[in-house]
Amino acid sequence: MDIFSDLVMGLSLAITPINIAYLLVGAMVGMIVGVIPGFGPSAGLAILLPVTFGMDPTGATMMLAAIYYGAMYGGTITSILLNTPGESATVASTFDGYPLAKKGRAGPALVMQAAASFVGGTVGVIMITILAPMFAQVSRSFGPPEYFLLATMGMLTLIVMIGNQWKLGLISALIGFALGTVGVDLETGQGRYTFGSAELIGGVYFIPIAIGLFGLGELFYSFYVGMHKSRSGTMVAYDKEKEFWPSAQDWISTRWTMVRGSILGFVVGVIPGAGATIASLMAYSTERSLSKHPERFGTGEMAGLVAPETANNAASSGAMIPLLTLGIPGSASTAVLLAAFMLWGLRPGPLFMEQNPELAWGLIASMYLGNVILLAISIFAIPLFVQIIKVPYRILGPIIVVICALGTFSVHASFIELYLMFAAGIVGFFMRLYGFSPAALVLALVLGPLAEEALRQTLTISRGSAMIFVERPASLWIIAVTIGLVVLLPLLGRIGKRASEAEKAGG
Amino acid sequence: MRIAFLFAILAASTYYTYIAYADLNFLSRTGRLGPGFFPRIVGTSMVLLTLWTLMDALRAMRGTEDNSGRWRDLGALMALVLLYAVMLRVFGGFVATVIYLALTLTVINPRKHLQNAILSVVVPIGIYGLFDKLLNASMPPALFDILPI
Repeated sequence: MDIFSDLVMGLSLAITPINIAYLLVGAMVGMIVGVIPGFGPSAGLAILLPVTFGMDPTGATMMLAAIYYGAMYGGTITSILLNTPGESATVASTFDGYPLAKKGRAGPALVMQAAASFVGGTVGVIMITILAPMFAQVSRSFGPPEYFLLATMGMLTLIVMIGNQWKLGLISALIGFALGTVGVDLETGQGRYTFGSAELIGGVYFIPIAIGLFGLGELFYSFYVGMHKSRSGTMVAYDKEKEFWPSAQDWISTRWTMVRGSILGFVVGVIPGAGATIASLMAYSTERSLSKHPERFGTGEMAGLVAPETANNAASSGAMIPLLTLGIPGSASTAVLLAAFMLWGLRPGPLFMEQNPELAWGLIASMYLGNVILLAISIFAIPLFVQIIKVPYRILGPIIVVICALGTFSVHASFIELYLMFAAGIVGFFMRLYGFSPAALVLALVLGPLAEEALRQTLTISRGSAMIFVERPASLWIIAVTIGLVVLLPLLGRIGKRASEAEKAGG
Repeated sequence: MRIAFLFAILAASTYYTYIAYADLNFLSRTGRLGPGFFPRIVGTSMVLLTLWTLMDALRAMRGTEDNSGRWRDLGALMALVLLYAVMLRVFGGFVATVIYLALTLTVINPRKHLQNAILSVVVPIGIYGLFDKLLNASMPPALFDILPI
């Protein structure tokens, strides 16, 4: 009953003309970000974060969250029409989405992906509504040792998911931790790595690094792989008048796929480091193994499109749980969201929902509305997104550079930060090129100062003894979960990889 | 190039670690963990791990492919981006963006002069309207004001 009244309060805050306008803008921008190949939600969030500074925090968080989950909706349009995923979480949607379009069923595929995304997103939000207060309740007993272990868990799971390249992932994380130590040490007041610069006293600011790594770095990489030379001529056409809507058979045959994809996606999404990409590949693999006609997968089977779509949207919602209740982001996108919260003076964690009920429940309520808005946009604004896909990358690229540069400058009007962003862009490109993990760097940059503070507090409490980590039941639980995840996650990753490789081998 | 990138990381992490040991104390005056505690752990781990990765990379160096064709456009874009960084300081946000877009589009979208010219003017006006007027966010000011914006 408490949850229900909180949700009603959240809805009353979310349903205001200005907040609905923010949601609409966020959903549209998220879809556009998703449609541009090579640009994921983290890039979109980082680039557009400065734009939200002039807004009221409630509206701004709603808009940023809408960009975050809206990118999942948009990423699939190119998967279906171009066989090019808008971002990694929609790779699995190409397996059957593109064959469906080639069969002349692009319209039904686009509508079904929108419906599946809506179901996945909405089931995810329902689960957030139920589970977030419970998670917050449990984590209320956490102290510095638990926070240090949670930060370690977030980093470890992300690095484990990198697989063979784990050393590069770990180096990326260490670079992030190193950048996080720049600035005045809060306990002693001593400057660290500031080199006499007044601008570095407050530390390396997160936004220029995130914009550089995800925005500029990704753009450089897209130019390196020749995306600016590709033509949109291979796009499959679809007929808006005839055979646009799915058949009754499409709905009936995929009803349980949606349920399974939503639950699986949400659970995987909650696990830090696993994320929407693994969720979508796992859902695809599970659906094929449960199907009576597995041979049809990869040839244009509707369930093969619906499963990853529900899963990646549910996973995006699931990733909000550790962010809101523990203050620990599990992915680069949620790390950018955490940074956004901190910019407005908010600290997500166990007390966040209790101390900021309007903001927390307003955000959750807005996610229900956001999914409805996205469903409508994804069906009725498809022609608009098709036009955006047709804009050549060689024109979009320079415009993205301008938005990255002016967006960075607008935050603090600092040229140092502007140059830092350009430097992060070049470093981000080389990281991407040579298998490093920009996501691990950004996550470590956000978690580093929290982890350092928690570790120093822990060792002060225990007078230098590390035994404190195994003396507290909550710490022991977190260690056990971390060990479990470190063992389990590579297996999940392998399932997803196998599904991906099987599809590549098949066609 | 990969080896050079790893050497750059090694050099930076060695310098970071040197400062952690030379300038930052492990313990504070009150006997608590000091400002050097965390940087020493991070720096040492970074140096050791980068060395390990560098050894692996040196062993696997044979037969690297030549991708010089791919670097041409990217090199041009990176150079133009760096030029843009300088122009932002000198000419300010609006004028630098017009020049940058005109130059970049001429290089990567050749022979479409009218389209490039329109985009080079319309996009900065749109962005100026969004940032400076709508969002009240500051655009980079110019050292030399060409336009009274």
